[in-house]
Amino acid sequence: MHIFHIRYRNTQGTLMRILNAVSRRGLDMPSVHAAPAGHDHQVTIMLEVNSKQVGQLYREWYAIADVTHVGSGSAQAAEWAGPHPVAGVCIESRAAARA
Amino acid sequence: MLRGAEIVLQCLRGEGVELMFGYPGGAIMPLYDALDGSGIRHVLTRHEQGAIFAAEGYARVTGNVGVAIATSGPGATNLVTGIADAKMDSVPLVCITGQVRSALIGTDAFQETDVFGVTLSLTKWSRLVRTIDEIPEVIAEGFHWARSGRPGPVVIDIPTDMLKAKKEFSGPVKFTPPARPAEAKADGGFTDTIVAMLQQASRPVALVGAGAKLSGAISQLRRLLDDLNIPTFATVHGLGAVPPEADYYLGMVGMHGTRAANTALHETDLLLVFGARLDDRVTGEPTRFAPHAKIVHFEIDRAQLDRVRPCDLPVIGNLADTIPAFQAELRRHSLPDFSQWRSVACGPERAELDPRGLAQPTIRFLDELFSRLPENSVVLADVGQHQMWAAQRYWSSSPRGFITSGGLGAMGFALPAAVGVQLAKPETCVLCVSGDGGFQMNIQELATVHRLGLPVKMVIIDNKYLGMVRQWQQLFYERNYAETDLSDNPDFVDIAKAYKIHSFRLKEDAMREFPVSSETGDQIDRFLRSPEPELLVFDCAPEANVFPMVPAGAALSEMLLEDE
Repeated sequence: MHIFHIRYRNTQGTLMRILNAVSRRGLDMPSVHAAPAGHDHQVTIMLEVNSKQVGQLYREWYAIADVTHVGSGSAQAAEWAGPHPVAGVCIESRAAARA
Repeated sequence: MLRGAEIVLQCLRGEGVELMFGYPGGAIMPLYDALDGSGIRHVLTRHEQGAIFAAEGYARVTGNVGVAIATSGPGATNLVTGIADAKMDSVPLVCITGQVRSALIGTDAFQETDVFGVTLSLTKWSRLVRTIDEIPEVIAEGFHWARSGRPGPVVIDIPTDMLKAKKEFSGPVKFTPPARPAEAKADGGFTDTIVAMLQQASRPVALVGAGAKLSGAISQLRRLLDDLNIPTFATVHGLGAVPPEADYYLGMVGMHGTRAANTALHETDLLLVFGARLDDRVTGEPTRFAPHAKIVHFEIDRAQLDRVRPCDLPVIGNLADTIPAFQAELRRHSLPDFSQWRSVACGPERAELDPRGLAQPTIRFLDELFSRLPENSVVLADVGQHQMWAAQRYWSSSPRGFITSGGLGAMGFALPAAVGVQLAKPETCVLCVSGDGGFQMNIQELATVHRLGLPVKMVIIDNKYLGMVRQWQQLFYERNYAETDLSDNPDFVDIAKAYKIHSFRLKEDAMREFPVSSETGDQIDRFLRSPEPELLVFDCAPEANVFPMVPAGAALSEMLLEDE
C-alpha cells in the first residue's frame, strides 16, 4: 500500500478531480481522509499501485488547477515537483550521459 | 445596475471574445435576451454538438479561446463530446451553460442535469456559479485555465436566476493564479545532457506534436530541426509544423504513418519528442515502441510524461522557452556525422509502395484536390479512412493548416468545425473532407453553412460503409461486416440541394487516368474557387483500404503495406 498526501485549495470539484484520477484507473480506495490543513485542505489516500501508476498519479494530480502539493513517504517525492521530474525508468543518469 | 447576463457578456468581451456559437433554450434565455448590442456575434448552429465543434474549429485555427453556449439538461449534455474532444486535443474552449434556477438545483427539475458533475473528468476546470457577485472572477479564471499551460476545455454553469439578477458592475477583472510547484520551469541543466546524448547516438530522430504549434514556437522549432538535420516526423496534430520540403522530413508517424517514418522510429537509438503525448496511435504496442531508443520528452504538461512509455529525460516547460535553450547549447558543440543514417532513413528504398496512388483512385482524387488548393488553405478531415488518407497526402506547410479530431476521433467533427474555421478565416479556402458516415452525424449544419453563406468546400468520400471499421472487420474479423453497411445512404447531392447548396458527384473512374482529364481538373478547380458553399460527393470503392497500417498490438515495424 502507498499513502499519498495531496494538498489543495478547497474549490469546487478539486477533491473530486483528485479522486477521479484514481477511480478512472479502476483502483480501489480503501482509505480516504480529507480535512482542512492550514490555509488549504489535504486529502490522504491509501492505494495499492505499481510504480508506473505512482508516476502517472503524481503528474495527473499536479495538473489539477488547485492542487498545491503532492507528497508521499517516497524518498523521491521532492524530485517529482522539480522542473525535470524523474521518469518511471531512468536508464542513465544525466551524469552518466555527460560522461 | 446590470443583469447577470449582461455582466457575463461584458466579461466575455473583456476576454477578447468576438464570436461564439450556441443554441438557445429555457435556462440560457436571459443570456440570449442580452445579446443584442453586446458586441459579440453569436452563430446559431442546428445542434449543440455543432456549436461546440464550430467553437473548436475557430479555436484550433486561430489559437484563441472558442466559446460555446447551451442551455441546461440536454443542451449541456450535447456539448459533452466536444468537451472531451477539446480535452484530448488541447483546444482552449469555454462552454457557458444555463442551469435551472438555484432553488431547483438538486430536485431533478425540468431540464436539470448535473453538468458540473457530468463534465468534471473531461474539463480542465469548471464552476457552478452560486452568486451573481462571483461571475466576473469565475469567467476570468475560466479563461485563464482554458488558455494557459496545456490548453483545454472549461465549463461555467450559470443558474438562470443568476443571469436575471442585477448588480452594480465595475468591469471585467483579471485573474492571477497563485504560484504552485507544478509550474516550475525547466532550468538550463537539461541542455548539455541532450547534447551528450546526441553525441553518443548513431540513429537519432525527432518527433513533432501539437505542442509545437500550441506553444507558438514553430519558427524556433524549424531552426532547431535545420540544425539537427536528423530524420523527423510528426503526429497527426503536428502536421504542418515541419516544412514538408525539408529533406529530413518523413511525414506522419503512427498507425497509418508513412513507411519511412515508422521504420525510422523503430530503429532509432535516440528519440527527441517535441510536444507530443505519445498516445497509442503513435506508439503502436507500447512495450515494443522505439525499442532501442532513449527518449527525451519536451512537454508542458507533466501529466503526459511516462503515460505510455517511460522516458529517459523529461523536459518540462513551454517549447518557446526550452527549444531556444537547447539550441543555444547545441550550437556550442559539434555533432557526429549522421548523414549515413539520414540517407538510409530518408532514402528511396523506404518510399511508399504506390507514391502516386495509381492503384487507389481515392488517393489520386485527394492528390488532385490538394495540389489545386490555393495557398494557405485549411483542410479539415472528419474521422475514418478519409481522415488518414488526407493526413497522409496533405503535406501542409502551415502549422494550423490541417485540422482533425485526433485524440477522441469524434465522427461528425469536420463539418461544424469547418464553419468555425471559415468564420475565423473568411478569405481562406476551407476544405472539409468527410466520410459518408461522419457527414451524417452533423449533416444538419448544412443549414448553418447556407444561412451564413460560408464558401466552405465540402467533400464526402462515399464508400457506403463505415470504412475504417469495415477495414478492421476485413483484416481482423474475417470480413464479418457487422452493421457497417451504409449502402442505403441518402443521395447527398439531393440533400445538399434541399439545403440550397450546389453539389455534384464525381465517379472514381474519373481518377483512373493519369494525369486526370482537363474536364475533371476544371471541375475540381471550379469547385475549389467557387465563392459559394459547394459539396462534392466522390464515389469511392467500397473496399478500399488505408495503408500502411500498424495492426493493434503490433510494433510500428510490423506495418501492413498493402492488401494481401
